[in-house]
Amino acid sequence: MPPILEVQNLVKNYGNFNAVKGISFDIKQGEIFSLLGPNGAGKTTTISMLSTLYTPTSGDAVICGHSVVKEPMAVKQCIGVVPQDLALYEDLTARENLNFWGQMYGLSGKTLSKRVDEVLEQIGLVDRAKQRVKTYSGGMKRRVNIGVGLLHRPQLLFMDEPTVGIDPQSRRAILDSVKELNRQGMTVLYTTHYMEEAQELSNRVGIIDHGELIALGTQAELTKSVGETDTLTLHISEEEDPETLAAEIRKVKGVVRADVTDHEVTIITPSAEELLAPVVTKSNELGIKIRSVDIREPNLEAVFLHLTGRALRD
Amino acid sequence: MRKIFAIFWKDTFVRFTSPLEWLFFIILPIFFTVILGAGTGPSDDQRVKLYVVDLAKTSLSENLFSSLTESNSVHPVLIELNVAVSEFDERKVSTVLIIPTTFSQENVINNRAELELRQQPNNMNALIAQQAVQAVLSRVSSAVDIANASVAKAESIEGFSFTSNDARQVYYNQALEQAQTLMNEAPVRMTEVEADTADPVSYDPRANSSAGQLITWVFIPLIGLSAMFAFERQKGTLRRLLTTPTSKAVFLGGTIFGQVVTALVQMLALVLFGIYVMKLNWGHSLAALAAMLVSSALAAAALGTMLGTFVKTEGQANGLSIMLGMVMAMMGGCWYPIELFPQTVRVIVKALPTSWAMQGMLDIVLRGQGLSGVWLEALVLLGFALVFFVIGIIRFKYE
Ligand SMILES: Nc1ncnc2c1ncn2[C@@H]1O[C@H](COP(=O)(O)OP(=O)(O)O)[C@@H](O)[C@H]1O
Ligand SMILES: [Mg+2]
Repeated sequence: MPPILEVQNLVKNYGNFNAVKGISFDIKQGEIFSLLGPNGAGKTTTISMLSTLYTPTSGDAVICGHSVVKEPMAVKQCIGVVPQDLALYEDLTARENLNFWGQMYGLSGKTLSKRVDEVLEQIGLVDRAKQRVKTYSGGMKRRVNIGVGLLHRPQLLFMDEPTVGIDPQSRRAILDSVKELNRQGMTVLYTTHYMEEAQELSNRVGIIDHGELIALGTQAELTKSVGETDTLTLHISEEEDPETLAAEIRKVKGVVRADVTDHEVTIITPSAEELLAPVVTKSNELGIKIRSVDIREPNLEAVFLHLTGRALRD
Repeated sequence: MRKIFAIFWKDTFVRFTSPLEWLFFIILPIFFTVILGAGTGPSDDQRVKLYVVDLAKTSLSENLFSSLTESNSVHPVLIELNVAVSEFDERKVSTVLIIPTTFSQENVINNRAELELRQQPNNMNALIAQQAVQAVLSRVSSAVDIANASVAKAESIEGFSFTSNDARQVYYNQALEQAQTLMNEAPVRMTEVEADTADPVSYDPRANSSAGQLITWVFIPLIGLSAMFAFERQKGTLRRLLTTPTSKAVFLGGTIFGQVVTALVQMLALVLFGIYVMKLNWGHSLAALAAMLVSSALAAAALGTMLGTFVKTEGQANGLSIMLGMVMAMMGGCWYPIELFPQTVRVIVKALPTSWAMQGMLDIVLRGQGLSGVWLEALVLLGFALVFFVIGIIRFKYE
């Protein structure tokens, strides 16, 4: 089966600024693919090109067998889009919003009202359907925002950071609904800067930074690529200088790399347990007080750190 | 097509969810129409009240007064000097005409006759009264001129001379009377000529206010299309729309079509109010009315579309459309008759669609003209619409 989406050397410049620098990947039917990257990495720009909103500066993408550049209308029929920012009419009710957007997707009559009912059920807003969207909580608005993208049963759903700025409960509900949609056969392109979300949801992950796809594969493949590594994070108090500590730690045997973010030193090492004793000794020698220590198994955060030297959320 | 109606319904729902919208849609326009239309006296007589103080009490001054009573634009009231002056000082009356004792036939003949016209400053009614008095005066004095000419002519006939001054006066009086009778009994052709000279300010406060308010309150929301486009851009709904299989043309067409239809409904409501409540002559030519309403709405909508490409935020657009709508309405003669503007201004405001709209609407409701009287205005408005739409659509930013 050919991939449902095939991105070929996609480039987007805003004037002189190179926002997306020639990325390529594909998404297979039925998978959840995550684009993981910090703010400003180029995730929204990429999704905008894939959803035919922006014309690529160069390159192309083929979605459901149609080129986004040459056959945008055919692509639009096949995709559902959940934008990063709410795109709803807040003066209208949830039902009125769904009705309107359903018609923009070409639905009408009985099909439309049936789909609107189904989607209201799906996003759990049947009870509040007759109230104006502006009276909703942030989480409820997000759910309507997602519902709009589902109305025409798209084969491929783009979700751009759908959990930003909402309470943990709503976030949980959204992640569960993404998994449920996928179980029902929908292919999903999900962007996020939360490592945990990518980890929980995706079959495959693309890591994007400064407009470049710096890693691509299943989670197992990605973590293996950075070796048998653990992440050891030392939290020190604010008065201390983390750079001095990091410099000393880099000399310790078994340290792959040590990076500083705020008042933390993050160390990548094959075995965190073995490293703990020498690191504590070093900091005692320097008179730097360690307030707490985290040890994590290999994860996507470590992959990002390994590749860029920065934490995902800095 | 179905999508266009969906956009129309959505915009209508969004617009009228705010009860405030009804205020602008129908309540304020009717309120202002009634207020401005009733600004000058009782509804059965819209003529401007003019106090006349006759100190001369000659046949000529009586003549002047009776000529004034026949004017369409002033309603002269004979009154004592002290009453007139005190009411004028209290601003109860806009204009007082004082006919001094020196206003006699001899002085008119010798060009020494003077009238005193006291006017409240910057008062539209005072200006109207002045125009009327001047028109009547020119008619009276032209009768006097004719009488003078007759006397001169008689005297120039060789071998003829008046036997006495009295005889000469009798001859003069006869000539004057004849001239006046002829002028008053002038045939229809004559009164039409007079309509132009006697009442250069063709003005009926109710018709003017009905037409003017209609244009004002319809232009403002249509220029507000700019705010709708800014709103869709800001809210991200335009971006989302462009990810659905809906073309840009359908979006633009649906949004503009919806607002034009809403505006036509609003105009129709105001016209019906004009016909049934104010008893105005809107309905005599449906073709002319339709041509003016549609062309005005299109011109305003096109202006809003073009403006939408120059503004960033909805707030900006809203402020701008109210301001621009008001200024254009005022300059276009929707609040004050355009005849009261200086000549140069009158030429300059031809660049505004509102002045063409107002002119066409007045052709219908005030001057009772049909399609043949308004086709030029309608065509000019469609020209505005074309130019603004082309600029607006070319410049339209979707991102
Ligand atoms: N319309 C635009 N004009 C200029 N620069 C932009 C525009 N949109 C985004 N950018 C820049 O492009 C980069 C990528 O942005 P974006 O795709 O929104 O990143 P992400 O969604 O990953 O946070 C950022 O540096 C951003 O500032
Ligand atoms: Mg983004």
